[in-house]
Amino acid sequence: MGLREYVVRRFLQLIVTFWAFFTLLFVLFRMMPGDPTSMFILDGMTPEQREQRIAELGLDQPLYVQYVEYIRQLLTGDFGQSFIYREPVTDIILIRFMNTIVLMGTALVFAYLIGVTFGALMGWWRNSRFERGGIIVTLMARSSPEFWVGIVLLSVFVFWLGWFPSSGMRTTGGELGGGFVARYGSLDFLRHLFLPALTGAIVYLATPTLLMRSTMLDVLNADFIEIKKAEGLPERTVLYKHAARNSILPLVTVAAIATGAAMGGSVVIETVFNWPGMGREMVRAVNNNDYPVAMAAFFLMGSVVILMNFVADLAYVYLDPRVEYE
Amino acid sequence: MAANNTSRRTVLKGAGIGGVVGLTMGISGCLGTDDGTDVEGAEELAGEVPEIHLLAPTAGVNPFRNELASMIAENWEEIGFEVDLDELEFGAHVDQAVVQQDFDASLLGWGGTPERIDPHTFTYDMHHSANTQEGGRNTPGYANDEYDELAELQVTQPDEDERQQTVYEAQEILARDQPRTYIANEGGYHPYASARVTDIQPTLGEGLNSFWNMISATPTDSDTVRFGYPAAINSLNPMLDLATPDRQFVRLIYDQLFRIGEDGLPTPWLATDDPEIEDDGMTYTVEIRDDVTFHDGVDLTIDDVEFTYELYADSPTYGSLVDNIEEIETSGNEITFHLNEQYAPFTANVLGQVYIFPEHIWGGVDPDDLADFEDENWIGSGPFQFVDWERQSELQLEAFDDHFETPNADNFIRVPGSNTAQLIGDLESGQLDMVGTVPQPTAVDRVRDDEDLDLAEFEDIGYVKIAYNMRREPFDDRHLRRALSYGVPKEEYVEFVRDGMGTVTHSTISEHNEFWHNPDVEEFYEDLTAAREELAEGGYGWDDDGRLHYGADQ
Repeated sequence: MGLREYVVRRFLQLIVTFWAFFTLLFVLFRMMPGDPTSMFILDGMTPEQREQRIAELGLDQPLYVQYVEYIRQLLTGDFGQSFIYREPVTDIILIRFMNTIVLMGTALVFAYLIGVTFGALMGWWRNSRFERGGIIVTLMARSSPEFWVGIVLLSVFVFWLGWFPSSGMRTTGGELGGGFVARYGSLDFLRHLFLPALTGAIVYLATPTLLMRSTMLDVLNADFIEIKKAEGLPERTVLYKHAARNSILPLVTVAAIATGAAMGGSVVIETVFNWPGMGREMVRAVNNNDYPVAMAAFFLMGSVVILMNFVADLAYVYLDPRVEYE
Repeated sequence: MAANNTSRRTVLKGAGIGGVVGLTMGISGCLGTDDGTDVEGAEELAGEVPEIHLLAPTAGVNPFRNELASMIAENWEEIGFEVDLDELEFGAHVDQAVVQQDFDASLLGWGGTPERIDPHTFTYDMHHSANTQEGGRNTPGYANDEYDELAELQVTQPDEDERQQTVYEAQEILARDQPRTYIANEGGYHPYASARVTDIQPTLGEGLNSFWNMISATPTDSDTVRFGYPAAINSLNPMLDLATPDRQFVRLIYDQLFRIGEDGLPTPWLATDDPEIEDDGMTYTVEIRDDVTFHDGVDLTIDDVEFTYELYADSPTYGSLVDNIEEIETSGNEITFHLNEQYAPFTANVLGQVYIFPEHIWGGVDPDDLADFEDENWIGSGPFQFVDWERQSELQLEAFDDHFETPNADNFIRVPGSNTAQLIGDLESGQLDMVGTVPQPTAVDRVRDDEDLDLAEFEDIGYVKIAYNMRREPFDDRHLRRALSYGVPKEEYVEFVRDGMGTVTHSTISEHNEFWHNPDVEEFYEDLTAAREELAEGGYGWDDDGRLHYGADQ
């Protein structure tokens, strides 16, 4: 099987995966007890108002009618209207999705930069105190729950040292809206970004560190490293140019998959730091039975996971000629 | 906290039961049954009383009420019932109990918003047999002709003293019949930064979320008050079915003819004085102020008022609010409402609820599109005007200087938080000045110890209660419901679980609603012996294992 055939087949699989995914989403959300009017009933919505609203939303229609309508909307790239906010879902989701991407993207970049360097050095200095201490620190970071890391950082950097703001994405009372640069380019934003991104970086640091270390150990035992050393190359050159470079390959897959996972993991970080991202919105939408928003949010997050797996597969084939197309 | 309560509770209960056993042994020298009391039930038993399916909130939704539910279930089991406690998320709970009406007993709260200070909601809406349909407010399905008559009568009594008498009698009947166990008015504390804001004014049922607090709060060393709440605003469009947190901000931007005052009574707002009510109670005349403008500078006139009431009548969502108005007339600065039938709470529940819209903005909107209409600047005439809004981050308001009640803060910012704990963190770090929600007990202590922070205490007229589904056996039996009510540890709930926040109640009208509350209704404190006596009187009996059965004669 050639590369092209492999890509085509993988792409078809992708489409089936997507179909199964959003059908499952649809069924799951419709099975959830309650409906979008539940949150208003104790606030005084009358039974007549309730029925009228349900009919307006088309929720009195048979399930298959709603399903067909949902698929039709999706195919035209339309996620519908929020049941609660009464605004197009796209408007609600996109801005929050960007906020989440900026936060988790920063966290992952730091996690992988630090993790890869740290892991390479741990492998290089095998059996040193540095390696043993490094493993303990890494394992601690790996087993700490996100909310706990967040709270510890908050108590040190906010409540004790007072260096950073405790929540949000910018200081309240400033100019709202604005373009990409106005949003994410200011110093105020970076101050707000620091702690939540650090929390994410600490939590996601362990995987690249440990993986890098163990592949380094394999590579260092390979004959060609011995040869390079025998050639009389300086240690530094062997470490960076030959050992580390060859160890990085498995990380490509892991990084792609971790990106997907991190999108889901953002829920906790966003809650602790009140980050106006998609994770928080997802929780709200699920609690309020705001199906269109909840489904769109899950759909986007799930899509990141599915697409990143796809990218990982392709990248692997491209990067490592030894991989066979099955 | 929870473990602590349980242990305290176990000790208490141990002492209580010890006392009862000791006493009964001392006096009568015998024990009727082996469950520790001398209450004799029916001698010949029929089948077991079916298991009670009790719906309650999860600890995540409401930790206090979740704990209460376990205490109640434990007590009921001790009386001889079998209890299946089902913990639900909020939406699922409301759906199952209020909409589907598929429950035996349901532990839920009923909010005490200002318009509910008028007794109509708590008497008529919640207990009249006309409101038992799916989604209706009479969740228990209570239907009592004698009661219905009183609930209807109070609507037609413009004389407050006569109406008070009727409402008193209605409360007595409810206390006797116990369609619900009225447990406690859950007042509480809202935290704020006393170092940064003064003149706070928590009010009945709303605490710091009150309108009066928001226009009164004064920042000490800035011109901005930052207010945190654990939910975003869904919409500012007053024509939508709004959740309470939305309304609390919509009413800052839009004015009504009357507002519910700090004392709970409707107070003239855009109106110059109390309405003139003709003797038949069917005609209300209101004069409006002539010094009011909308935020865009256009004068607010009687035509805007008339236009608004007509708009409401056409609104699919709010038409029912004003459908008792038969005809509207205006002359000069006066507007007269002719009603179809007498409706005593008209001032509080209609004139106090309808927001006055600028005709020059809402005039061209088709009634069916009202709910989707987006006035980007949300032009109203209220004490605050809209500046900007990003739902997930903040809502910015500024004082409207031309208003007759200019607020004390130049800017008012509302920040939605992810949860209460996170908001308290922001208050401690100086990012917020007030929080409109009750902190967890551990956070309450932290706020108390922080010299920059303080707690604003308030009482509530809403309550937590258990509704019994009277459409089903055995909950159609008054004796059984009364026995279950004796099994609810109200005092323990307020004192220990809620750490003293709130007051025990026995009536549908809170004692904090002084004028309407009847202080002499029958009271149901936790008393398991009384519960057994009530059941014995109803003809029930116990088997050797202490399990409750129907009596053979029932």
